[in-house]
Amino acid sequence: MAWLDDVQEIERRRARALALGGAERVQRQHDAGRLTIRERIDALLDPGSFVEMGALAGEGEGDNFLPAGYVGGLGQIDGRDIVVGGEDFTVRGGSERDGRTKDRMILEIANEFKVPTVLLHDGAGGNIENTLRRGYMQIPTWSNDGLEVDLLATVPVVAGVMGSVAGGPATRAMLSHWSVMPKKSAQLFIAGPPVVKRAIGLDVTKEELGSSETQVHVGGTVDNEGEDEHDCFRQMREFLSYMPRNVWELPPYLEPNDRPDRKEEALLSIVPKNRRQPYDMKSLIKRVVDNGTMFEIRPHHGRCLISAFARLNGHVVGIMANNPMVNGGALDGPGADKQVHFMELCDQFRIPIVYFVDCPGFLVGPDAERSGALRRGMRAFWTTFSITVPLIQIIVRRCYGVGSVTSSRTDHLKLRIAWPSGEFGGIPIEGGVDAAFRRIIEAAPDPVAKRVEIEERIGRLRSPLLAAEAFGVENVIDPRETRPLVIRLLEMAQKKRGYSLGIKSRPGVRP
Amino acid sequence: MELIEIRAETAGSILKILVAPDDQVDVEDVVMILESMKMEIPIVAPCAGRVTEILVAEGTSVSGNQLIAILARVERDVR
Repeated sequence: MAWLDDVQEIERRRARALALGGAERVQRQHDAGRLTIRERIDALLDPGSFVEMGALAGEGEGDNFLPAGYVGGLGQIDGRDIVVGGEDFTVRGGSERDGRTKDRMILEIANEFKVPTVLLHDGAGGNIENTLRRGYMQIPTWSNDGLEVDLLATVPVVAGVMGSVAGGPATRAMLSHWSVMPKKSAQLFIAGPPVVKRAIGLDVTKEELGSSETQVHVGGTVDNEGEDEHDCFRQMREFLSYMPRNVWELPPYLEPNDRPDRKEEALLSIVPKNRRQPYDMKSLIKRVVDNGTMFEIRPHHGRCLISAFARLNGHVVGIMANNPMVNGGALDGPGADKQVHFMELCDQFRIPIVYFVDCPGFLVGPDAERSGALRRGMRAFWTTFSITVPLIQIIVRRCYGVGSVTSSRTDHLKLRIAWPSGEFGGIPIEGGVDAAFRRIIEAAPDPVAKRVEIEERIGRLRSPLLAAEAFGVENVIDPRETRPLVIRLLEMAQKKRGYSLGIKSRPGVRP
Repeated sequence: MELIEIRAETAGSILKILVAPDDQVDVEDVVMILESMKMEIPIVAPCAGRVTEILVAEGTSVSGNQLIAILARVERDVR
């Protein structure tokens, strides 16, 4: 019992750490509709799995003791190791202090053990009071030596924007593979309303400046939106369920809840015969992947493109699809940006991609040109040709122009499968005919009839069966066979993905 | 009364208008058909409400994000 007094002192100090910034500040946090950092960690992790690091850190004597404004440590999600940490808003508003910090240590543990990292941000970053304490102004530097950048190459990094997040924490939230914020109780901005007022003279609320409406729906700065904080934690757990531990491992296989040979009758009629009528691509995808396994990434931004993680016979797969309900599936700037990020994410973590194509090409018109759609679109193309994970292209309907080449690689194994509704070409018949046959059409007694006649003549060549005869497409299939066929192809590719694990080299310069 | 804007998500032309001012609509009811990229894309009500204003006509060319109609939100299901 020699050390009993000391051990009791540890317990006393631990209890102080659990009290965070004090009852009053905890109450204020709850009144704002927010959880404390300790409640967040408990809600995220498997029960009882949290092992805290640095719980006793803080300053002040006795009743004046204030814990350090950051809580973090080891934890588990679905029995798999992660590290987790976050600012404690109840201590000086989660602002940063000088010296060795717990947030850096969390990143060091992740880097050392190569485990996924979840950072729960709630704070405003730098505190000008530190300047007074220090007595001089500092050149801005990144305080963690770029550890965040290193981690992006090795382990999955998840960011939660949980409160009012500005400055340093806001920038760190961007250094993640995937981010999520709740609908009402959180905001994200480079700088909050007082700084905006001083800089550009604008009165703006923090909700207008940085709510999920701004950051998820309009800006696409944060990937996903949760109904509330608990929904965010559910989504984080789901995201990580598709991720490997690090780039030296393959994504986790889970015993499937579905038959590999399931053939959905509905797939036979999901694409309307009327070529101008769009349909629900998400419902199409759900009928192909394992039951209940579709998790959409960035669902509210770049909506002409759908990106999601799912499982096929228990194997993790990245799903991409053009969305005919938005831009008629044409690739625009935000959609291209989304494709670049999602493909890189799949490539880094060795997740094969199945791309459901219904794309008339790049979006055209003044809006598209002004938003840099061509450059952004070719970045997506460049990414497609840079990745090395298996990519299977399912041509559901339209597949035209270079905009749709972003969904396949022609310099690798061609795995292109068309549905009978599939149609493709370098340029679409409508529009293409006007350009190529302009003189003939104009010279005809009835130009409209002439144009229709030429369009119909070329239109008869549209059938994918003609292309299949010429082996211009590898397979034309009954849409109901999509699931069993894709599973066979993916399982064939499964082993190969294990031959070249590790950090991906960066190819060249993006356009 | 909360006013909700309906905007064209992408550039195109208004092919059909399926509601008139004062009509009640339910969430996800199709209010217009936008012709864009050779497709007939339904534009749906983002919430249940009453149509207060239609700002385009059939045949109008619209640009991306252009305001095309306004709804007054109602909380209850109107059907």
